[in-house]
Amino acid sequence: MANTLRLYLTCIRNTLEAAMCLQNFPCQEVERHNKPEVELKTSPELLLNPVLICRNEAEKCLVETSINSIRISLKVKQADELENILAKKFLRFLSMRAEAFQVLRRKPVQGYDISFLITNYHCEDMHKHKLIDFIVQFMEDIDKEISELKLSVNTRGRLVATEFLKQFI
Amino acid sequence: MILLESHNTIIKNVLTERFVKPSKIDVQFVDYDNVRFHLSTPTSKTVLVLSMGIHCWSDLKKYGAPEILEREFGEWVSNDPNLKEQDYDVTLVLDLEKIPEEGDDRDALIDHFSMLKPIILSAPFHRAYNEHSQLASKHKSTFQPGMADQAPEERGELMIIHYREEEAIYVQAANDRVTIVISTLFTDETDRVFGKVFLQEFVDARRRSSAIGTAPQVMYTTRDPPLEVRNAPGIAGVKRSEDVGWITFVLFPRHFATPEIASDTTFKLELFRDYLHYHIKASKTYMHSRMRARVASFQQILNRAKPEVIQDERKTATGRTFRSR
Amino acid sequence: MDPTSRPAVVIDNGTGYTKMGFAGNVEPCFITPTAVAVNESFSDQTRATAKGNWLAQHSAGVMADLDFLIGEEALARSRSSSTYSLSYPIRNGQVDNWDTMEKFWQQCIFNYLRCDPEDHYFLLTESPLTPPETREYTGEIMFETFNVPGLYIAVQPVLALAAGYTTTKCEMTGVVVDVGDGATHIVPVADGYVIGNSISSIPLTGKDVTQFIQQLMKERGEHIPPEESFDVARRAKEMYCYTCSDIVKEFNKHDREPSKYIKRLTGIKPKTGAPYTCDIGYERFLGPEIFFHPEIYNNDFTTPLQDVIDKCIQSSPIDTRRALYKNIVLSGGSTMFKDFHRRLQRDLKKIVDVRVRASNARLGGDAKAQPVEVNVVSHPIQRYAVWFGGSVLASTAEFYEACHTKAEYEEYGASICRSNPVFKGMY
Repeated sequence: MANTLRLYLTCIRNTLEAAMCLQNFPCQEVERHNKPEVELKTSPELLLNPVLICRNEAEKCLVETSINSIRISLKVKQADELENILAKKFLRFLSMRAEAFQVLRRKPVQGYDISFLITNYHCEDMHKHKLIDFIVQFMEDIDKEISELKLSVNTRGRLVATEFLKQFI
Repeated sequence: MILLESHNTIIKNVLTERFVKPSKIDVQFVDYDNVRFHLSTPTSKTVLVLSMGIHCWSDLKKYGAPEILEREFGEWVSNDPNLKEQDYDVTLVLDLEKIPEEGDDRDALIDHFSMLKPIILSAPFHRAYNEHSQLASKHKSTFQPGMADQAPEERGELMIIHYREEEAIYVQAANDRVTIVISTLFTDETDRVFGKVFLQEFVDARRRSSAIGTAPQVMYTTRDPPLEVRNAPGIAGVKRSEDVGWITFVLFPRHFATPEIASDTTFKLELFRDYLHYHIKASKTYMHSRMRARVASFQQILNRAKPEVIQDERKTATGRTFRSR
Repeated sequence: MDPTSRPAVVIDNGTGYTKMGFAGNVEPCFITPTAVAVNESFSDQTRATAKGNWLAQHSAGVMADLDFLIGEEALARSRSSSTYSLSYPIRNGQVDNWDTMEKFWQQCIFNYLRCDPEDHYFLLTESPLTPPETREYTGEIMFETFNVPGLYIAVQPVLALAAGYTTTKCEMTGVVVDVGDGATHIVPVADGYVIGNSISSIPLTGKDVTQFIQQLMKERGEHIPPEESFDVARRAKEMYCYTCSDIVKEFNKHDREPSKYIKRLTGIKPKTGAPYTCDIGYERFLGPEIFFHPEIYNNDFTTPLQDVIDKCIQSSPIDTRRALYKNIVLSGGSTMFKDFHRRLQRDLKKIVDVRVRASNARLGGDAKAQPVEVNVVSHPIQRYAVWFGGSVLASTAEFYEACHTKAEYEEYGASICRSNPVFKGMY
């Protein structure tokens, strides 16, 4: 189980290291504008092939690159209803604070749970390998956090029930 | 705190203050389960009028609430038509000049008043307990733990209390137990999922730990009401969907052996629905605080990616420094 | 009964005190200090070692977040037991610690007000200088955790103005001088809209008055146990302080008839149970005096209150100035000193008259300016004027339409909470 996680993350890391070759590129259509090309997808010569890395049907990662930006979309594992709700809440919470994270996108791409948008400016400001570290760490932590949240909900339920029924003894 | 309190904090506070120093007051407030209160001093500073409006008063009247009102609050029930307020069902008048002196008596009086709503709401429950003792003496069978799963020999009247618009409590006595079915509605998707997890734990709790083996048995279904109430009048009109949960409590005679234990059990059961919803919201709060902690740790990781900014003082040739904003 | 037929819940969270209650009432049901006492012993163990009795630790940690108290009980418990640490979620009018704030609201709703949040619309308040993100976070907490059907976040000074409404007059223009326990703001409001760049705040608050009194009493050598001195100063402030018209004359009055002016305060030492008494003399009028002469307390800030108000009005659009001078509303507990409004009105009128005379002199008698009317309004509910204004507004029919509903939140996200339309209450 842990093995597939390691493989999955290593694969993503290698992909990102290869894909994160970003340089500044002013917009071709509008003068004096600079837009992340991966969002617009207007000129095919500026885009690279998107790569989809699947761990299983439920979890996958889409990496789309362009000349000045890269978009990473994740779909997180959601085994049952509770995990579904928890993941949704957690990721929505994060997305609202996207401003603080800089590389996070406010709305996930259609079909995925959360998306990152990294532009060449981010690469100039921050170390590239550390950025990749962050993304990989993020993916690991999300899984851990969701399972911890689920565990705490169950434990809480148990405690709530015990406390209530204890009153009747 | 983990357990909700039965008494009404506002009534308790106001009465405690006013007993010491009477003054004018006119305040409307609410309590759980669709109960409204109005506390005022319409005629003079020393006469407090407390009115309570309950949504299910019409149901409660059928099941003996006026008698309980008379028994517990008789001396303060107002018969004065001027003081009786239109939108409210029960009116009590308290004369501040006739209250006992400071000390335990006064505190007991304040506590009694702040328990007005739970006491009135317990009318059908007490009726069920009485019915049970009648039925039990008729059948004269002793209760054994294993019998909970078998159907009782005779059932009493099924009492329905619509305490909220779409939720109700059903109480039914039998010769060896009293069954209470509470239906609750979850409006929000998240609440529903959390509620399901919590309620499942209620069912499993007895099995898990032997220490609470003597607690009432709990059963839980969603969507369809349990067998006992399936034939109840008006049940067809109740919404059938995933959002509705039915929780059945089976009370054994030891849970209402004496009047004190019986009242205690009743007050706790009345608060069940609010207790459940309170804890669902408390868990969401806990989730939020964990999420905030996570966000902070993510930010820390991200900040590691930023290279350190070296602060050197930049000077011009003549020695003047730049000031950065 | 749907939520619009039930009274809305009005909660005014201030730095020092939170006022909460239901709309339609004259006074709040509860006025409690905005403090939370949290049990510290469990909070760091959730990620502790996985070995050993982790289930017990985990469960203790999981439920330990419910082990807290708010308000008066929090203050009492933190004093008596060392496992509980006190924290103030609101600093200078802004929410600092969202976790504790969420817990605070949870207790307010379930334990004090005893209502189901899904059944009532909520009116919360905020300071005029809060960033819009704070409103988003508040909205997120209210809609996601408590599932409230509707929320309206009102700006405190506008509510303070609404408190002055009567059936004939509802002035939406005025300067609100809000002197609270943690933050003091002077906010000009025109037609219900806050004139953002004219807001000024001064670093003198109710807490500073208390500290000043505490300092004076210590300098004089009053015998008060040190852990009680802040509390004693606060009680002295609330019970005996008043505003004088002239310090020098007041000193003379005190010296001539000490028995009439000096009051005595008694208390009980918490540890030994022995009673102690202390006298309160000059502090009675020197305390509130720091608003008019800040230099006696603090060397950093020396602009008296009337100057700040005047500057603030002068920086507002010229067509609003007369209306602003006519309606200066006081709100907040620290404006309740006796004769505060009279002194303020007198001092402010002096400044304004000097200016009017100077301009008349310059014009040389050709045109005489109309005299500017200065009016400082005060009414008995100043302490919770903001709450009262909220209660008035939340009991009108338009309130329910002006609120943001949960459906909107689900559809558009938290950004809807950034704007809150101002609406007129009674006509």
